[in-house]
Amino acid sequence: MAGVKQDMPPPGGYAAVNWTRVPAKKFFTGYQMIAGYLGLFAFGFWLTHRMHKVFKNRKIEQRSSHNAIFPILLAERDREYLKQLSRNREEEARLMKDVPGWKVGQLYDLPIYERPNRGFTDPEICEFYAHADPKYLWQRMEYGMFK
Amino acid sequence: MGHYNFPKEFMLCRQEEKDPRKCLAEGRAVTSCALEFFRKVKSTCLDEFNQYANCLDRGSPDLKFRMCRNTQSVFDKCVQDNMGMERPYYGYFCAPKVIRTNRPRPAPEPPLEFPNTPDELPDTMPRKPAPYSQGGGRQFF
Repeated sequence: MAGVKQDMPPPGGYAAVNWTRVPAKKFFTGYQMIAGYLGLFAFGFWLTHRMHKVFKNRKIEQRSSHNAIFPILLAERDREYLKQLSRNREEEARLMKDVPGWKVGQLYDLPIYERPNRGFTDPEICEFYAHADPKYLWQRMEYGMFK
Repeated sequence: MGHYNFPKEFMLCRQEEKDPRKCLAEGRAVTSCALEFFRKVKSTCLDEFNQYANCLDRGSPDLKFRMCRNTQSVFDKCVQDNMGMERPYYGYFCAPKVIRTNRPRPAPEPPLEFPNTPDELPDTMPRKPAPYSQGGGRQFF
């Protein structure tokens, strides 16, 4: 049986196996972690309060500017709106001229826009755009939707 | 400083009367006041005004003021030197205002009247007890 090659350990035997415990390295202790959390929390709290004031003031400035120009635009819009209402009324009178029993601005006999003792009522948006191309109504209703 | 009261009077009128037809005179005063301001700016401070408006227009999608502080300061200085108008503090138009006008306060809306209400039942009519109040769970709520 001489001359057979066998898998034998190296001369001197294998090296010893290192089986000692190596726990994870601790960068912070428990108290340090809690202290760090509280410190970051305090810093975030202070920062939020400080920036909250800044954001609020920016919002106030934007709203101020909006309030300042709103009357100008509203006055112009009112004039144009009333002109358009009178144009609608004339168009309706022209269209319903031959219908018997029709009072302009009312549904036969029923007053829709003039409420006694309560004055002016705005028409619905569909009534306002009744005599126009529907695309203007769609434009108006979709205004501000894709902001 | 009566000029600065036109918009306030117009807004008060609009809020009280709730009718655009009654506030046309104040509206015209507001528009003429605004146009006069623009005419004055056009004659004295047009370049600064155009620069400021251009910056506001293109500095941010929604006209943020904080992107344009340098052009704003230039424009404010120009307006103060030429027209004597100072920019009010940033919250001025958000604060509530007390307004004294000569226009009388409109009458409040009259209460609703219902002329055709039916008469109440006389006490001699037989009344049935409510069907759920015979005891049971519904006597408490």
